[in-house]
Amino acid sequence: MLDPVLRVRDLTVDRHGQPAVESVSFELASESDTALVGPNGAGKSTLVAAVLGLLPRRTGQVEVLGHQLGTEGQLPRSVRSQLAYLPQRLSLQGRFPLTVAEFVGFGLDPPGLSWPWAASPQRRQAVQRALERTGCADLAARLLSELSGGQLKRVMLAFCVVRPRRLLVLDEAQAGLDAPASERFQQLLLELRRQEGWTVLQVSHDLDMVRRSCDQVLCLNRRLRCSGSPDLALSPERLVELYGPNVVPYRHHHHG
Amino acid sequence: MADPAALAAVLAAPFMQRALLGGLLTGALGGLLGSFAVLRQLSFFSDALGHSALLGISLGILLGINPTLVLIPFAVLFALLVNQLVQRSQLPTDALLNIVYSSSLASSVLLLSLVESYRGGIQQLLFGDILGISWVDLSVIAVLLVGVATYLTLSLRAQVLLTLHADLAGAVGVRVAWHRLAFIVLLAVVVAVSVKAVGVLLISAFVVIPACAGRLLSRRFPHFMLTSMGLGGGCALLGLLGSGLTDLPSGPSVVIVQFAGFLIALLLSQRSCRRHGG
Repeated sequence: MLDPVLRVRDLTVDRHGQPAVESVSFELASESDTALVGPNGAGKSTLVAAVLGLLPRRTGQVEVLGHQLGTEGQLPRSVRSQLAYLPQRLSLQGRFPLTVAEFVGFGLDPPGLSWPWAASPQRRQAVQRALERTGCADLAARLLSELSGGQLKRVMLAFCVVRPRRLLVLDEAQAGLDAPASERFQQLLLELRRQEGWTVLQVSHDLDMVRRSCDQVLCLNRRLRCSGSPDLALSPERLVELYGPNVVPYRHHHHG
Repeated sequence: MADPAALAAVLAAPFMQRALLGGLLTGALGGLLGSFAVLRQLSFFSDALGHSALLGISLGILLGINPTLVLIPFAVLFALLVNQLVQRSQLPTDALLNIVYSSSLASSVLLLSLVESYRGGIQQLLFGDILGISWVDLSVIAVLLVGVATYLTLSLRAQVLLTLHADLAGAVGVRVAWHRLAFIVLLAVVVAVSVKAVGVLLISAFVVIPACAGRLLSRRFPHFMLTSMGLGGGCALLGLLGSGLTDLPSGPSVVIVQFAGFLIALLLSQRSCRRHGG
């Protein structure tokens, strides 16, 4: 049995002086795909930000790849370079003069100061390969701000796959995508996860996708209300408990 | 067409040589920092900093301390306070910055009106006096330009990622809070150092206009930084030469050339969009 990639113990995080996440404990097994679900305002984004060391904790311990997260969110560089985070959207108001290839190249660089024009053949090849694997090779010279929502999400996966990583955290990464684009993104994520051995933690409101793709579900509403396999954690009784009595559980049936 | 003899006379004057070099360096510095300031929507912030600089000068004059010595620490302190205010307040940033800069301007004018010798000098502070730039001023601006260029170049990945999304940057190890603070401090120092030459009312043009023109013309990030720098420096040179030949005020002449450059960039980018079917 491999050590868990992420181990969270008794985590409490405050937002605006109030606990947004309280006494949460869970583990992510290596190469697992875990969904974090819950109603709006349940503390899902706060929880993922805290486990990545981006928000201060009031109490609790977070261990990433066997290393304790420091009180200021510190992790060794070698651990940081194995993490990636995919937000809902990037801040791309108007024309943003950055090409897809440049952005993906930034995913290759280690943390810290570096000379940005060190364009070695190996670097170009790594970027090209990441773009090919995510079906974005024809987008290399396009500006990030010229991409559609679906293209941008695939480019963000290229940013992750350009170097070996262990833990990928997605915060509603499929929000804003239409159904076919969302399906394509999930398929690509699944394929890359298997090839790369990624452990995935994804915040999602798409319970149908969670049922089909994830191994484990964490149901959060400030506290962890339940966790386990999708069938167990997303049973009608559990959903009513989590989202309230007005939720009508419905399963999509996919043909073909 | 400029008269070559008149141009030679303008170029021969030592004060004009210093002004041209000062314009080149200040314009390049504004363009370079502006390339990130406009992407991070800090244009209005630089405007508020410019107005606060006037308050710093006014306080220096009133207290009998050399305004140049007061200006930099005051601008940095002010920038940090405003940054905290913006982060903690529940009001929209643009409204908050408007309150800050209009109150700074009003306080400065009231303070200056208390000092007899400065009653007539406010126009110089508002619009700058690049012709009065000294070799010491030039050295400070040159050192600052080298420092800013080195910092932004070596931390380019961190700067771009945190501009795109702070948490995406933080997750891969970028020290987001540190880089944000460093950028705001640098912006404050650059505004404080440049305000003497450029003036309180026009300083934000030096930060915003060349960077916006560069943004329209560039497709790669390093080109964007270099284009913004080049346009900043080039427009300042052209504006100052025009001002020297026509005897028009120097600061506004530079801003008008920057605006013309922006319009040309806008036209070129529209043509480029049509050519690529964008």
